[in-house]
Amino acid sequence: MAKEEVIVQKVLEKAPYAEGKVKRERRIEFKVPADRIREFLMIMKENNFESMMQITVVDWLKDGEFELVYQLWSYTYAVHAFVKTRIPRDLDKARMPTVKDIYPVAETYERDAHDFYGVYFEGNEKMEMPWILDDAEQGLFPHRKDFDWLGYTKRKYKILDRFDEDKDNYVI
Amino acid sequence: MVSQSELVKEARENGMELLPLDKDTYELFFGPQHMATENFSIILKMDGHRVVKAIANPGFLHRGFEKLAEFRPWYTNIALLLRICVPEPDVPEAIYSMAVDELMGWEVPERAQWIRTVVLEMARVSSYLFWTMGLGFKLGVYTAGQWAAAYRERLMALFEELTGARVYHIYTIPGGVRRDIPSDKWLRQLKDTVEYIKDKLKDFDNVLFENYITHRRMEGIGVMDKKFALDEGVTGPNLRATGVAADVRKLDPYLFYPELDFEIPVLKEGDALARALVRRFELEQDLYILEQLLEMGPPSGAYKVQDPRLKALPRFKVPAGEAYAHVEATMGDFGAYVVSDGGSKPYRVQIRGPSIAHGIRVLEQLLVGARIADVPVILMSLGNCPPDIDR
Repeated sequence: MAKEEVIVQKVLEKAPYAEGKVKRERRIEFKVPADRIREFLMIMKENNFESMMQITVVDWLKDGEFELVYQLWSYTYAVHAFVKTRIPRDLDKARMPTVKDIYPVAETYERDAHDFYGVYFEGNEKMEMPWILDDAEQGLFPHRKDFDWLGYTKRKYKILDRFDEDKDNYVI
Repeated sequence: MVSQSELVKEARENGMELLPLDKDTYELFFGPQHMATENFSIILKMDGHRVVKAIANPGFLHRGFEKLAEFRPWYTNIALLLRICVPEPDVPEAIYSMAVDELMGWEVPERAQWIRTVVLEMARVSSYLFWTMGLGFKLGVYTAGQWAAAYRERLMALFEELTGARVYHIYTIPGGVRRDIPSDKWLRQLKDTVEYIKDKLKDFDNVLFENYITHRRMEGIGVMDKKFALDEGVTGPNLRATGVAADVRKLDPYLFYPELDFEIPVLKEGDALARALVRRFELEQDLYILEQLLEMGPPSGAYKVQDPRLKALPRFKVPAGEAYAHVEATMGDFGAYVVSDGGSKPYRVQIRGPSIAHGIRVLEQLLVGARIADVPVILMSLGNCPPDIDR
């Protein structure tokens, strides 16, 4: 059996609530309910996934959901794991528990996700600290798919006033 | 002698803020105009010349690349995403292309893989020379810095002949590379350049890496251990300086690396000097890799995939799915996560720059207790590159 399958089986034995599969050589994927994510990442860390590479937020506008992909890398096995979970994308419901006590570097990734997507990570005390965006851009969450980027650009840069608002096929 | 309260008053009147926090400490804004920080700012709480607390303040280079990439066709994104990493723009090109290749299910021709490997290694050498330049300037060893800049110029000229551009090459594209190697003369020139830089390494050792000043300034500052490094997501030379023999080129091999013979330099100390020396040894290994590749010679065949879907690029679509590709850059582990919904544009692209781990939490913790003069040295030893934090 390939090492990836062994890892997936080992993790799923401890976490029966998750779904797992091997994507290809050195890439594995898990789907976990949002409320068990802390528990699951603790199991992953015990299983030699030492480092967290990034937290990606994918905005699935049609489903009304955010997909959070916690990406872990194991130096022991040389395997990259995607841990996926889905949460509602409404501003008041897009809340997750922080995982900064499990992977300290997650604090930075969580600040990034909050600044651009408005996912609030409970327990991360740096959530309200300014990150990349300016003060005037706080609360706009510009990477969301329904962000009105043309309207925002026109408000911010007056030079775009000559464009016709009814047309929507500008390529900028 | 002006008293502190007069100084504060004068500063306020001129629209400046000088903030004495209490009797002993004051607030100091380090960057973004400071040469050492490169479009990045650190807010320091100082006690005399010692740092008590540091807060990294990124965002001066934010151009929203990840959002812009969602509005552009697959191939156009190459000209956009490479701007995420200034010293080695071939890395974002390569990872994005590798992720798209995986989504398309393409087997990239051998010749294209060989050229990509050569370009990535040239980028590594050029980036290390660029870094040596910065280190020389920050330590006050200006000679070494000027040499490094001059030798890098040779690689820039070779890049220009190969790709048409000096810095931003827009050369690696999904499915291969944009055009073939210009001539055998170019390969001979590259070989000469590699030998030339290899000869000069001894000079760098004499002037910079074995210099008393370097050791005095870098030894024992900014120390991190193995556990701290793994927890904080530290990768690349910074991780290898703490005793972990990890290299993406060995652990998750891509392109021609499985066929190449090279070593991973590892040091245990974990201080700024160890990080600098790991980079010095890696420069030597990269030159050795380039020598091997040139010895091998480019395989014959096409330099990009032949696919009927490429006939009409404006209608080019990528099947739904997601892929993650990463390479070993000189800063660390550089990765791209690309999601497609089957359309003519990416649904989501996220670039994982190594500096998002090195430049925020690691830096904030390493700076505590350092002298103000050591701040640029610690920044440089971490190889912090602000554009990949801001994106």
